[in-house]
Amino acid sequence: MIGEIAHFLSLSAAVLFGLILIFNFFFYFGKASPNQLVLSTRLFNQACWLVFFSFGIYIYLAINDDFSIAYIASHSNTQLPVFYKITSIWSAHEGSMFLWIVFLIAWSILFIKSLDQNHPLKKLTLLMLSLIILGFLLFLLLTSNPFERILPFGALEGADINPVLQDPALAIHPPMLYLGYVGFVISFSFITAYLVNGNFSLQWEQDIKSWSLVAWIFLTIGIALGSWWAYYELGWGGYWFWDPVENVALMPWLAATAFMHSLFASSKSNVLKAWTMFLGILIFSLSLFGAFIVRSGIIDSVHSFANDPQRGLYLLTFSGLISLFAIGVFAYRLPALNSSNLVVTGSKESFLSMNNILMITSIFSIFLGVTYPLIIESIYSEKVSIGPPYYNSIFAPLILIAAIFIMISIDALWQRRMSFRTFILSILTPTILSVLTIYIIWKITNVFSVLAFIGILSGLLILFSYSIKIITNFIDKKYINKGSAISHIGLGVLFLAISLNSILSYEKNLNLAPGQSIVINDSLKDFSFKSIKVLEASNHDVISAEVSVIQDNRSLSLNPQKRKYTTRGQITSESAIKASVLKDTYLTIGDQLDNGSWTFSLKINYFIKWIWLSVAIMVFGMLLTIFKNKTS
Amino acid sequence: MLQVRKNRLWKLALILLLSAGGVSLILFSLNSKLDLFYTPSEMLQADIKPGYRIKLGGMVKTGSIIRNGTKLNFLVTDFSKDVAVTFDGIPPDLFKEDSGVVILGYFLNNIFEAEEIFAKHDENYMPPELNIAEVKI
Repeated sequence: MIGEIAHFLSLSAAVLFGLILIFNFFFYFGKASPNQLVLSTRLFNQACWLVFFSFGIYIYLAINDDFSIAYIASHSNTQLPVFYKITSIWSAHEGSMFLWIVFLIAWSILFIKSLDQNHPLKKLTLLMLSLIILGFLLFLLLTSNPFERILPFGALEGADINPVLQDPALAIHPPMLYLGYVGFVISFSFITAYLVNGNFSLQWEQDIKSWSLVAWIFLTIGIALGSWWAYYELGWGGYWFWDPVENVALMPWLAATAFMHSLFASSKSNVLKAWTMFLGILIFSLSLFGAFIVRSGIIDSVHSFANDPQRGLYLLTFSGLISLFAIGVFAYRLPALNSSNLVVTGSKESFLSMNNILMITSIFSIFLGVTYPLIIESIYSEKVSIGPPYYNSIFAPLILIAAIFIMISIDALWQRRMSFRTFILSILTPTILSVLTIYIIWKITNVFSVLAFIGILSGLLILFSYSIKIITNFIDKKYINKGSAISHIGLGVLFLAISLNSILSYEKNLNLAPGQSIVINDSLKDFSFKSIKVLEASNHDVISAEVSVIQDNRSLSLNPQKRKYTTRGQITSESAIKASVLKDTYLTIGDQLDNGSWTFSLKINYFIKWIWLSVAIMVFGMLLTIFKNKTS
Repeated sequence: MLQVRKNRLWKLALILLLSAGGVSLILFSLNSKLDLFYTPSEMLQADIKPGYRIKLGGMVKTGSIIRNGTKLNFLVTDFSKDVAVTFDGIPPDLFKEDSGVVILGYFLNNIFEAEEIFAKHDENYMPPELNIAEVKI
């Protein structure tokens, strides 16, 4: 019964959103009275709250194990801790779509609230948001109903959540990611409303700036959490696989990053107006494209949900229409969208726009990488896949050029051409220092890889140029944009960590019997496999290996495990990870052979923790920027 | 022609040239770095150059897994032809007899040397081609 109430609330919300649209459509051409907007806003708020209540009830049902609801029955279990009963809601398609919509609505209601009642764009923004929300609510209710009952009798016990998903990082990874994805609905709707409205004397940047920056933070954290989870839970020891679904998350991230940069330029010196609007529209369109790729199952990926052509068709049509509408209005208004200023060659904006072009190029390359297999399959009916080598070879040169522009732009000024002398001075020291450091790294490590060294050079150029700038400005007591400096240093650390990780890390496959010990190399003098223990936990059996390692004169004890979950019979590996500043020692246990010995995979991952550290630095820098934007 | 127009034309030509260059570089990169997907029957018929990285998809044949130290030998089948696979390392948790795998590696002297074995989160996963193959049996 309670389930039907939740279902009914969501249905009523959809009807209300529909009513808002119809009501405003018929009265749009007539004289708009102030009451009309008041009424629409009120209806909008009520509709939003109906969905929140509906979701609240759904959480209640999940906590109380209502297995008469098909979705809960197939993704939860009475044995689960309450935390995972709640997170099981977003462990598969229907529930995660529901969460996606709840976040979409949460952003919308907050943004509408933030707009003044007399704001000229309030009504159009509200209509745009209502349209998008309605489209997704209908998608949820018509093609992926989370409220569906098992009739006449519900299941006695749930089928359990997939054990690899029973993990705190993965529990918060989807909410973070979705908050980021849908957060850009605000720039999308607001810019579209601005373009439809057609009064181009209005200022629009400041209204959506903070919102976009906050959404960027969520998206960044969401992506980083997913990669961290994959690293320690899946036992592959990698952090990024260039999987199609990772790629569709990276595309909006790159677009959002480009958008923020040009938004700064646009609000600072009245340039690149049209371009910034285009990016603002592009981000959410890419988010929608991502939703289509993941939820239609059109591309085979570890993340993809069950293959359902009906869902794919709906999503493709709806997102296509919404995006085409926005791009169409943009194209129609383009001739009138003159920026009052032009970008001066050699100014800060000019380097910033160059990097914008680079980011668009990388988005285009990823887009091709994701869709190329589909194109090839439909034309030649050959199955192909695009792997890391493609992306690495595309990204290495792009990030080097980007790093060079970042380096030059530090000393460049807004709206003014940079003098040749400053240009030479700003690039000379960082370049010399970077080349020297690279030479030292090469001498120490004795390995060489073109792509990795391009990455190292890019990271070093950014790090050195910003460090020099910070030190000299500190001595001269001159102003420095802290948020930007910190975020870019994070980016430098990221490039450096990824590249060093790729050349220094190594892997050894071992086969030992309990009690046996071996020497691996100079740094790992002793690897001894002590024993195997069989344990029993609440919902799984555990095989745990006791291994002790002497690494760099430090004694480590590692306990890699294999778990067999009783309800699904699924086997998972729990890697043992011991981290030091420079490297992680990562051990996974394999299978037992006929002679009683076991296989192990030992990975030494250099600088891997620095990858997530760098993301934290970038997010911190962005928080400073938001704070500054709020106070000024 | 006006000087302004001439300049504009040059700029346009330059932009077109650069974008064409960029796109062809990307396409070249795509073509040289894509991995072709084969089923065992296709792989045995096709003329595959040594040193060309490809993907093999199929089912792990029942009773074919032989472990020798960290080495793993098994047969991948599409229920009509088998390909022998050798791998050094630990396969993913979902790797087991009679279930679907996708393997990245090199085909040399009728043996597939695996670089990486993929298994899916979904325990009922099966390469799309084999779904059809199994229906026929």
